[in-house]
Amino acid sequence: MKLTEQQLSELAAELDQVKANVMSQLGEKEARYIRRMLLIQRLSAISGRILMVLGFVTPWLWGLGVALLALAKILDNMEIGHNVLHGQYDWMNDPVLHSRRFEWDIACDAGSWKRTHNFEHHTYTNIIGKDRDFGYGLLRLSNDFRWRLRNLWQFVTYLALSTLFQWGVSYHELAGERVFFGKKKPDRLNSVSHKELKKAFFGKGARQLFKDYVFFPLIAGPMWLWVLAGNLLANLIRNLWTSTVIFCGHFTKDVHTFTQAQCEGESRGHWYYRQILGSSNFTGPRWFHILTGHLSCQIEHHLFPDMPALHYLTVAPQVQAIAKKYGIAYNSGSFLRQYATVVARIIRYSFPGGKATTV
Amino acid sequence: MNRSISLWGQRLYRQFSLMLANQPKLEYYLQPLLRWNTPQLHPEYHAAKVVDFRWETEQMLSVWLEPASSWAGFKPGQHLLVTMLHKGRYISRSFSISSSFAVFAQQKQIRISCRIQAKGEFTQALAAEISHLTHLSISDAMGDFVLAPDSPPAEPLVMVAAGSGITPLWSMLSSQRCWTAPVVLFYCVREQSQAAFLSELTLLAAKQPLFELQLIETNAAGRLDLIQQLKTRANFSFSKAQYFFCGPEAMSRHYKNELIAAGVSASAIQAELFGLAVATSQGPVKQALIMLQGKLTTVSAASGVPLLQVAEQQGLNPAFGCRIGVCFQCVCQKKSGQVLNLRTGQISGDGPEQIQLCISAAHSDLHLEL
Repeated sequence: MKLTEQQLSELAAELDQVKANVMSQLGEKEARYIRRMLLIQRLSAISGRILMVLGFVTPWLWGLGVALLALAKILDNMEIGHNVLHGQYDWMNDPVLHSRRFEWDIACDAGSWKRTHNFEHHTYTNIIGKDRDFGYGLLRLSNDFRWRLRNLWQFVTYLALSTLFQWGVSYHELAGERVFFGKKKPDRLNSVSHKELKKAFFGKGARQLFKDYVFFPLIAGPMWLWVLAGNLLANLIRNLWTSTVIFCGHFTKDVHTFTQAQCEGESRGHWYYRQILGSSNFTGPRWFHILTGHLSCQIEHHLFPDMPALHYLTVAPQVQAIAKKYGIAYNSGSFLRQYATVVARIIRYSFPGGKATTV
Repeated sequence: MNRSISLWGQRLYRQFSLMLANQPKLEYYLQPLLRWNTPQLHPEYHAAKVVDFRWETEQMLSVWLEPASSWAGFKPGQHLLVTMLHKGRYISRSFSISSSFAVFAQQKQIRISCRIQAKGEFTQALAAEISHLTHLSISDAMGDFVLAPDSPPAEPLVMVAAGSGITPLWSMLSSQRCWTAPVVLFYCVREQSQAAFLSELTLLAAKQPLFELQLIETNAAGRLDLIQQLKTRANFSFSKAQYFFCGPEAMSRHYKNELIAAGVSASAIQAELFGLAVATSQGPVKQALIMLQGKLTTVSAASGVPLLQVAEQQGLNPAFGCRIGVCFQCVCQKKSGQVLNLRTGQISGDGPEQIQLCISAAHSDLHLEL
């Protein structure tokens, strides 16, 4: 169903109001929440690294250590890092939590992330040819893309991407700017030189590798192999988790895409409309939402990327009601159901044909 | 040699912290752990225990602080940035230290005194929460508006304080150990009930023959005519004196111009500005192109309005601190365009440079990177 410009502007006004209600109330509650998350993250990171070394007492301690380190990395990347880098806590004016200074425990440089994710992906969400997050230039996820032979084995490509997800994310901007391979695209913004891109990519990557695979194994002495393996495993768990959460937010069965022509000079209302149709939610208990960094409420996150994420759950029913009023599909389901449709989508478009998902 | 070694050490430590904790200093990583119970302490400043407070006048609140041992001390007349956590957010303002250096030397305590502004977010919050505040955060002491307690002036001193501008001057006076030259203080207030530290000042005048206090109640007596007052004094030579002004910028500028016309050299005059940077002129609206996190926003910046305020009205949240040009928290990169410095009235060049958002207003179309 198509909305008129009049309806779109009413939609924008209603969603703006939902946002304003939350943003005008920000204060101690949100500050306490994010500080508690930081505390839990630090405690699990430090205790996880210590417990891994104590693996010589019993391997169970090592296992617990790996789980805690994975938890720390997931919290750092999802509930803390991703949200802080969106500027959700800039109003607190705390240097440790300000998007301008924040750096996270992942191979991707925060500055690069802010350009490709906050700007490109959140501005041009699911516009074919503009949002490179739709398939990451690796996967064919709708018939808007021409079928190529390499799409035949794209499920394997997907598994590899998930396994190495942090490196995929960190290489994302360099791939888009064709720093190493391929012909330069004329429409790139080019706000950062290739030299700086390479410096950030190699610098941040090397620090992360050195930390997990040289420094901590070295100071573990005879337990070095256990620590090295544990760090590798913790990074793997984080990679699989973040990748899965993100795929469930954007590549489920009913997520729509848009053409560049549709979005030429679009209104704020159309931008909102596109964000709702370009994302999908999934349900689960509270702790589960926290581990996803509240990206389980991907729709709300895309509508209000700078709203402190703990509020997504409370505004979700309001957003759903508004979507219903305007007849916009609100894509939500259980985690397993959403994930099954992601897998089905990747497999379906491995083969030629299929539906175009542009609306 | 030693310096280059310590520079290398600093670089190495920074790289190590970045590697281990993704922070420029390990302290930042540990801060959520070490200070989980005292979030009111700002990670970049020194902790200061709130020891006592009292109302000097109906509008002026004094707070006694005991800075942590990391705090390096101060010279009488200097100011510092005070930060508190209010509704989950760090807000800051700069205050002059209003206590004697002797008290700091003996008891490790300092006092700040602030006039509660009807529209000032910080002073309102401080007044409302002071009774249950345990700590504030403070910066190092800053500023060149100083009178060292150990090097007594050879020439007569003329001081003019307007309202809360008395605070740094009182710190200078009460810190003075040996008096070698006469000092006269013109203390301008609307009426006597608004004069803070009056009993201390009167006591000093009674005890110290070289100190003279002139209380000017402007509601009754009108504005102080400084030149006239000084002319009538016996044995006073304009060119053989040092001048200290503390109060609103307009007042300091007025007296400074008059004194220079009377033959005083500008280097003999020191002034500390009190009061917020305010919109100075009305004029055509400029376009500012603001780049935040790779995303371009175009905003309209009215002339005379601080760019920090302009950005905040657009829903952007740049880092900020004192909002009066002291603390450099809001420094950002100007790519191109000219800005007007609201404190100095200076107009910047057109090229790339670092500017303070809180005291800069658009003078031409701008391109900023927050």
